[in-house]
Amino acid sequence: MRQLSPRMILGLCLLLVITCVAIFAPLIAPLSPTATSVNVFGAPSGQNLLGTDQLGRDVLSRVIYGTRISLQVGASAAVIAVLIGGPLGLIAGFFRGWIDYVLVQVIDIFIALPGLVLALIITAMLGSSVLNLSITLGVVTAPTVARLIRGQVFVVREMLFVEAARATGASSFWIVRKHIVPNTMRVVWSQLAINVAFAIFTSASLSFLGLGVPPPSPDWGSMVRDGTSFLSLRPLLSLGPGAAVALTVFTFYLIGTSMNAAASSNDH
Amino acid sequence: MLVLIFSRVAIMVPNVILLTFLLFAAVTSFLGSPAAIMLGEEASPETIAELNAKMGFDQPLLTRYWDWMTNALTGDFGRSYTTQQQVAEMIANALPLTLELALWAIVLGFCGATLINSLTFFRKFFQTFTAVISIIGITVPNFFLGLLLIYIFSIQLRWLPTTGWAPWSDGVLRHLTYMILPVMTLTAFYFSSFTLVYKAEYAAVRNNLFIRAARSKGLSESRVSFRHILPNSILPLITYAGLSLGQLVGGAVVTETVFSMPGMGRLLVGAISARDFPVMLAVGMVIIVGVMVLNLIADITYSLVNPLVRTSA
Repeated sequence: MRQLSPRMILGLCLLLVITCVAIFAPLIAPLSPTATSVNVFGAPSGQNLLGTDQLGRDVLSRVIYGTRISLQVGASAAVIAVLIGGPLGLIAGFFRGWIDYVLVQVIDIFIALPGLVLALIITAMLGSSVLNLSITLGVVTAPTVARLIRGQVFVVREMLFVEAARATGASSFWIVRKHIVPNTMRVVWSQLAINVAFAIFTSASLSFLGLGVPPPSPDWGSMVRDGTSFLSLRPLLSLGPGAAVALTVFTFYLIGTSMNAAASSNDH
Repeated sequence: MLVLIFSRVAIMVPNVILLTFLLFAAVTSFLGSPAAIMLGEEASPETIAELNAKMGFDQPLLTRYWDWMTNALTGDFGRSYTTQQQVAEMIANALPLTLELALWAIVLGFCGATLINSLTFFRKFFQTFTAVISIIGITVPNFFLGLLLIYIFSIQLRWLPTTGWAPWSDGVLRHLTYMILPVMTLTAFYFSSFTLVYKAEYAAVRNNLFIRAARSKGLSESRVSFRHILPNSILPLITYAGLSLGQLVGGAVVTETVFSMPGMGRLLVGAISARDFPVMLAVGMVIIVGVMVLNLIADITYSLVNPLVRTSA
């Protein structure tokens, strides 16, 4: 084992590139993402590789800076989902009985509901900002995480080493902390990557619908939205940031599914 | 069978009540006073209070929920705050379009994924093709895919109209030309996830002894694939279709916005940006009930197709 699959390597390479773009955005971006100019709807040229938007801002620089917001929202939403869903899943899986029954009922209702619509309504209530978007998307994905962890806890708690720990008189809390949590983290990591993908995907969709990070922040979804009316004139206004969303989601999805595959091939 | 349906409906009713109550409480308490929204920013506090009292907005939450719910059950969702139109009428106009879009996506995604992935000729080519398509379909956001399709087929090739919608009454052909791109956009996700689920199941079923028996009695590869492996591999798809309905609704909202189609998604997005409570609540309720009923239908279909579940239920 411990040999990375080609898919995993591709995913990690892309992640490295995207992270570098986010961190070194001021060095990479040719111009300021918010500086307007008289050159509105400029065609792609040597100075503006993807052209300029309706306010004369450089699209490429905005796409590069947009990486920051996207990764920020994606990562914090995924962490929030684990922080909320993790304890719920642990409680349901470890104590079982009526607590489990009630929790699973609630979790299943929320899993069945459309995540995007739920996020739409919550963002409309909270107002949109990077923090609110992260919380919203974290809350929306938390039930899936809880369900997954619950399933894994069901498997782990029947293992002999847990029984041994119980036989030596270990407390529930100690068993959960020392045995259950470390053994469920394996599935959590791959789900974490998939959740980042989902959060970036959904936050971009929300911005596209007009409920994303408020302007003038360079946000991919809003850029796509602003560009749609000029699709025939300057297609790159929309398609450029759209491709950035697709590539980022692809990267995290690839990493998540390869981790998943590696974990399940390890089981057999 | 009947027991199964009854027990499922019995669980559904409290769930619907709970969810619509949460929706009602959230929408009405967070978005500010509806009277203030209706009267605009220049209204004095006295006139707002007066309208609140007249419309019953000052009543306790439970009373207001009860009134809303009992009216909703008789089909009266009130009037839109922005257009003064009957909300029930607005929903009745928008719902068929969204249902049609969703139905196309499920049917095409289901048939496409099962049929193409069962083909035995040029198997290698089709397998690679669906593998690539499925990753694209899952990771490319709906809005980007939709715009890309508009750009390629409407702006560059000029084969299809860019956005908009034509009802069936404008002629079947005209209706379908407007539907092609939105349906493709929405089907991409379903086709992709169905492909992933179906391929995994197909590979597992293939190893069974009865498949070897079918092959050794001289059946052709394609007959084995379509008559023996396919029927035994579609069960997980039905479960999956039920579970992913939520994503379908979300996808429909975005797709309708991209293509400016007057469906439920556009109604919801418009209502949210205009703070139009009655419309938000009604669309929310339709989505909640719709997803639950469709889930129930998926469960019933599952038990009809799978005799094991049918006898034990």
